[in-house]
Order: sequence, then C-alpha cells, then structure tokens
Amino acid sequence: MATTTLEPRAGSYHRSWVLDWLTTVDHKKIGILYIVNSFLFFFAAGFLALLIRSELAVPGVQFLDQNTYNQAFTMHGTIMIFLFVVPVLAGFGNYIVPLQLGAPDMAFPRINALSFWLLPLGGLLIFSGYLFGGAAAEGWTGYAPLTSDRFSPGVGTDLWIIGLALVGTASIMGAINFIATIFKMRAPGMTLMRMPIFVWTILVTATLILLATPVLTAGLIALFIDRNYGGSFFDPAVGGNPILWQHIFWFFGHPEVYIVILPAMGVVSEILPVFSRKPLFGYKAFVFATVAIGLLSFSVWAHHMFTTGTVFLPFFSFMTALIAIPTGIKMFNWLGTLWRGKLILATPMLFSLGFLSMFLIGGISGVMLASPPIDFHVQDTYFVVAHLHYVFFGGSVFGVFAATYYWFPKMTGRKLNEPLGKIHFWIHFIGFNLAFFPMHQLGLSGMPRRIGDYSPDAGWTILNMVSTVGAFMIAVSIIPFLINVVATLINGEPAGDDPWEGNTLEWATTSPPPPHNFDRLPPIHSERPLFFLTHGHGHAVERPEDLVEEEIVDEKPGDVERRPKDLV
Amino acid sequence: MQPTAPRKRLRTILRVGIPVLFTVLLAGCLLPPDPKTVAGQDVFNLYLVVLALAAIVFIGVEGFILYAVFRYRRKPGDDVLPEQLHGNNKVEVVWTLIPTVIVLVLFVVSIMTLNEVEARSENPGVTIEVQGFQWNWNFVYEDGPTIGPAGNEPPVLAVPVGEPVRLILTSDNVIHAFYVPQFLLKRDMVPVNENGTPNEIEFVVSEAGTYAGQCAEFCGTDHAGMVFTVNAMPRADYDAYIAAIEDGETPPTGGGDCETTIDISANNTQFDIDEFVVPADTAFCIAFENLEDVRHNVAILSGSEALFEGSFLNEAGSIIYEVPALPAGDYTFVCQAHVQAMAGTVTVTE
Repeated sequence: MATTTLEPRAGSYHRSWVLDWLTTVDHKKIGILYIVNSFLFFFAAGFLALLIRSELAVPGVQFLDQNTYNQAFTMHGTIMIFLFVVPVLAGFGNYIVPLQLGAPDMAFPRINALSFWLLPLGGLLIFSGYLFGGAAAEGWTGYAPLTSDRFSPGVGTDLWIIGLALVGTASIMGAINFIATIFKMRAPGMTLMRMPIFVWTILVTATLILLATPVLTAGLIALFIDRNYGGSFFDPAVGGNPILWQHIFWFFGHPEVYIVILPAMGVVSEILPVFSRKPLFGYKAFVFATVAIGLLSFSVWAHHMFTTGTVFLPFFSFMTALIAIPTGIKMFNWLGTLWRGKLILATPMLFSLGFLSMFLIGGISGVMLASPPIDFHVQDTYFVVAHLHYVFFGGSVFGVFAATYYWFPKMTGRKLNEPLGKIHFWIHFIGFNLAFFPMHQLGLSGMPRRIGDYSPDAGWTILNMVSTVGAFMIAVSIIPFLINVVATLINGEPAGDDPWEGNTLEWATTSPPPPHNFDRLPPIHSERPLFFLTHGHGHAVERPEDLVEEEIVDEKPGDVERRPKDLV
Repeated sequence: MQPTAPRKRLRTILRVGIPVLFTVLLAGCLLPPDPKTVAGQDVFNLYLVVLALAAIVFIGVEGFILYAVFRYRRKPGDDVLPEQLHGNNKVEVVWTLIPTVIVLVLFVVSIMTLNEVEARSENPGVTIEVQGFQWNWNFVYEDGPTIGPAGNEPPVLAVPVGEPVRLILTSDNVIHAFYVPQFLLKRDMVPVNENGTPNEIEFVVSEAGTYAGQCAEFCGTDHAGMVFTVNAMPRADYDAYIAAIEDGETPPTGGGDCETTIDISANNTQFDIDEFVVPADTAFCIAFENLEDVRHNVAILSGSEALFEGSFLNEAGSIIYEVPALPAGDYTFVCQAHVQAMAGTVTVTE
C-alpha cells in the first residue's frame, strides 16, 4: 500500500501534465483536485445565491418565476453542502492529514482517486437536471411526499437522487480511507494523544460519515424505488409514511452538520495556537469534546422535526441542549488559547477569529432552537436560515478560508499576499453579517424560508434589501481572493518550508512537499513536534539526542511494532 | 508586518463597527411579534429569558475575543515566547459547568412552557379542520360551513376570541404547515396513511383582529402564495359571521378592533339600509362605502344635534368610522350632504 509512493521520483520519465493530474494517486494532488473542484461548485452555488437574494431584494416576482426560484434554492443548498463544504474540507484533510501524520500517502491511494472523481460526476448529474426540463425543486432536504413522482414528475429529481448517492458513496470511501490512514500510518512516536487536533477532528468526522451517510444512501435508493418502480416507502397514499423520510434524512443530516463543522474546528484549533504562539489550551479536553460531539450527534436528529408532532420533544430537546456543553468547552479552550498569548493577526488568524465570533452566534441560535416552544415559532422561517448560515458559512466557510490562507504556502511554496487577504477578510466579514444577521429578525417576524415572494405589507422589505446588499458584498470579497490566488501563483512571495513557525509535521518538509512527503522526520513527543524541535520542552534544555533527526526512509511508517520504545 | 498602521485601522473599524452593531441589535431588538394568544404570551416570555441568556453569552465571549485581540496582540519585534500554558483542570471543570447550568435552566423552562402550549381543553369553543392543499386552504367548521379560497383573496379563518379554538390539521397531498406568526405557533400538516392521526393544535386568541397566516413547510411551486387570514372576533360577531356564510351571504368584513361593525353603502343618493341596531355604551364601527362620485358621509343625530359626524368621502371609496359609545335610545343616521334623501334609524339597545 504505502510503498506505492516510494517508487522512483516523478520526473524520471515524461508525460503530459493533464494526464498526470487525471491519473494521479498522490494524496496531495488529489487534495488540490478536491479543493479546486469544490471552489468551482462554490462559485456556481454562490451565483445561485445571488439570484435568490436579487429576487428577494424587493417584494413581487422580478425575474425568477416560482418554479425557477425553487430550483435555485434547492440547487444552492444541495451543491453548497454536498459539493462544497464537505469535499473542500475533505480536500484539506486529504492534503494535510498524511503530512501531519508523517505518512507518505493515504492508506488506499487508488480508492482515494476514485472517491474524488465520483464528486464532479455526481455534481454534474445533480446540475444536469437543468438540461432535462428543470433541476430538482424540492429543497435540499427533499421532503416526502413532495419528492414522489405524483408531485415532482420531472427527471431532475431522479438525477438529484443519483448524484447524491454517488457523492455519498464517494465520501463513505473517503471516510474509510481516512480512518485506515489515521490508525495505521502514523509516524513512529505519534500516539493517538499526540495527533494534531486537525487529524482528531478528521477522524471523528470520518467516523460520522461512515455511520451516517449509508443511511442517507439507503433512503435515496428507497426514494428512487418509490418514484420509478412503484415502491411505497414514503407516500401515504399507498400506505407509506412521509415522516420516515425525515427520520432517515435527519439521522444522516444532523451528523452531517458536525461533518462540516468539526474539520473547520480542527483548522481553527491548528491556527489559533500557531498565531498565539501557545499550545492549544486543554488539548485532552478538546479531544474528548470532539468525540462527545460525535457521539451526541446521533441522538439529536429529531430536533429538525419538532413541528411534525411525531417525536418525543423532551428527549430530543434535552440531547440537543447537551451538545452545547462540549461545544462550550471548545469555545473556552479557544479563548484560553488566546489568553496571554502573543497574537499575530495575519489573514489565517483573522479568519479563525472570524470563525470564533460567527460560529458563536450560530451556536447560540442553535441552543434557542433546541427549545421546542421557540422552535414552534421560528422553525422553517428565516431564523433557521440565519442559524444554519452562521454555522455553515460563519463557521465552516470561515474555516475553509482560514485553511486556504494557512496551507496555501505549503501547497504551492508561495505565500498569499497579506494586504489583499485582509481586504478579502473585512469585506467578507461585514458582507456576511449584513447578509445573514437581519435574517434572524425576518424569521422572528414570521417570514418563512423557501418563498420567492412576500407581501409588501409584511414589513420585511428593508431587512431583505440589507441582506441582498450583504450577499453581493460577499461576492465582491471573492474578487480580491481570486486576484490574490492568481497573482501569488504567478509571482508570489516564496514561503519557505515553515512560514508561520508551525507546530505540526507538514511544516517539516519542503513547500510543496516531494511526492513521498518526507526524507526524514523529527522526533515526536507531543502534538507539537516542530515547536519542540525549535524551542525544546517548554524552555528546558533539550536532551541532545532528541534533536537528532531520524532517518526513516527505510522504515515502514506506521509500523507500530518497530516504533522505538522511548517514543511511544 | 507593519508596526501600527493595521492596528490603528482595526481600532478605527472596531470603534465605528461596534456601536453600529449594537444600534442595529437594539433597533431590531430581535423580538417576535406581539403575541395575540394566551400561550403565545408564554412563548414570548420564555423567549425573553432565552434571549437574555444568549445576550450574556454573546457579550461575554465576543467581548473576550475583542479584549484578547487588543490586549494580547504581539508587539513588533517581540520574539519572546509567551508562557506555554497547556491547560488548567480547575478552570476547565468550571467552564464545563457554566454551559451545563445554562442549558439545564433552558431545558426546564422550555418544558414548562411546552406544557402550556400543548395544553388541551376538554370542550373547545370551536373545532375546525384545516385542510391544506397545493396551494391553498379549506377551513371546515365542525357542524358548520366550509370556508375556502374566494377569488384572489386569501381565505379567512374566522375564530372567536377568548375561548379555546381547536384545529385539526390535515392534508391529503404533500406536507404543509399551519403558521400564524402573531400566535407564535406552527404545526406541520402531514398527510397520514391509514394508521396515522392528524396533528391537532389549540389556542385561545386574546385580542380581536386580523392576523396573517402562511404555509411554512415548502410544498411546491406556489408555496409562497399559500396564505390565509385569521379573523378573530367576539363570540357574537363570530356567530353572525358563520351564520352569514351558512346563509350564503357575504360575511361582514372585519372592522379592525371594533366589537361591532355596521356596513353601510351609498349609491344613487340612497343608503342601502334604513335602520340598524347597536348595543348601548359600547363603541362600534361603521364600514362606509361610497359607490358613486358624489359627496357623502354618515352622521348620527339626536334630534338635530350631531352626536357623531363622519368625515366626507368626496368620491367613490370606503372608510371605517369609529363611533363612540351611545346611551340607549333611538337616533337617526344621515348623510349630512343629503339630509332629506339619505336618512335612517339607529336603535341603541341595552
């Protein structure tokens, strides 16, 4: 397995770079493919968001008729979640996890390539509904029986089902790959409790994907049978139960929320210590909190179904409230990391602080929604839209940009321009809040989600206009980002191996790393091997033998039996 | 990194940004609408408690982040490492307890309120089956009429004030949701198979008036157009309203907060009615509609003394007059521009 990447170095024979990228099994190239592919879908789904916000800026039907509008928000949600946020974080995981583990590649490089290539295929299938009479238009949650062939006969819904099943299969394979890599490919000395926190969050995320996504896939297959072969899983007219779909969808869908937020938490937990020049406050508590969130996430799904009248409200309300505890612990750990640090406010740090302050709002509104009586009022209104965007966008997407600015130098050998990065951050941050904060009030005032038109007498006009302005600010903020990426790739400041004085192993190799990742590894005594290499244990004098780099070229990484005893 | 320029810029942004943010917060207030049901008031009060807890957490954490950004920002050229603090068990136990206490309090008060919202009376004043379909509503009154969509106007759900109203929420197509923002209440209308029972909700409207309602569960193409109006009125008006519909008449249009509303129209220099009856010592409304481009009004006279003078409509149009309470007795109502041709009797009864 791992030996495949220890073949003779690339460049010994010539082949076209296109073919090289199409056939690569290198986790770094696959990671970059994931990230680039995800950003392309991000721009497509972002364009749909601008259409939605333009339509809603003022009351009345402007340029999207109801049906087009319904397709737009369905595609926006589906693409953003399944083809941007999840895969972009998986892409960073793909690139970074083997490096942080000191491994030469993922455990199953060819499966890794397969799980990537299913993504653009699935995404294009989902989008291709537009070519065949209209894309799916039932919302990204696809509630039965609206998705049955009686109410949505179009082939767009079938394409949506097939595309999602493919994307889900891809992420299941990716999850298995991550779990195998993390358990079997760690460098000598890297015990579980010495793993970088980002790897921990990816491990828990992969476990959630492995347990939750097959449930969605099964549900999608049942729905496909209902639509095409006269099944009766979800249609009450033939004895099915539409609430069953909601249970299946949210049994996947709520862990999904943590699937997209945990890796972003991991990114932030890597960046805050580096840019505060301190270790993460309470590493162990953070790991346990991550695992606790993962476990609890399987017992809260029905809080999406409080208004269905079919679930036991106190249980799901209580379990949902419990999740606030490990999440609160994490927030305090981050604040403790900042406390008495020496903060360097570079762009990755700005986006991480943005994550903290925005995710907090999403967390607070989440706890409010956990209260059934309040949920009865704001469920399915813009309050929920605000909440989920503060979690997905204020949380995960801020984490994605933090990761991009942080690891871009490692991936390309060049540092993104700081002033442009800061311009990006501030327009993005202000635009985000203008776009989504007013939605809290819109929801409290009773504006339902998923409506393309509203009454001018409802009093929602001003806040909708503000929100639309904010959405366009977010779009504008992407311009300096793209200029920055292109300009840096052409003529950026060389980054060196370790531009941020990082803590983890990816900074111990060249930027970009060679195909086999490492020529040699530093000794690993903690979750911050590089910090210890530079600064020693605390400020104590180092045992000189610890500083000697170990030759590992001949050693099989991850071979636990051969791990030197003093490093365990 | 430049020494102080970005820092100054950040400070300026924050100095301007934070007051703006707080102004927005205070102006918006982040409040639901004024609740118009008894249980809605409980939900509103619960929301205030939760909002207060949320505000404390928000200000505490965001405040600390801002404090840390200014207080702990690295000075240029400072290469000394800060103390490498890995954690502190005591502190971590304390800050595990803080969110635990907050969410437990929240859970207990939520469940207490939930019991109020979900309380069911033995004999509701009125039971109505609400049928949702793509994309409109039918309101089927138990032992009474069915009110459905009429033209482009949203269908009206008429309910009495001050007594329990039970709604049975049904759908034989896709899922809809019954939602009246001013009641702070919604519930899904789930199509059930032969083993299922439809959802029921109950509420007591505390104030007469008309309230907008809307489908809140996405239900297909024209979901946004699936609206209705709740018309809550005193029992007597409610009975009259329902009776009118059963007789196939146009029900009296709601007069806002008026307990009693009299409809009068004028055409060909004639009123359409020549007498009406109102209760004594109670303010009432006159919904006056002028159907021609001739100047008319309605005034109420005792002998020749005007007790009430409605403002004139100079052309076709309509207006709602709010008439102050009158003592019991007989009066006349006239158009003051056509006192002879347009007159009728007002009987004010005890």
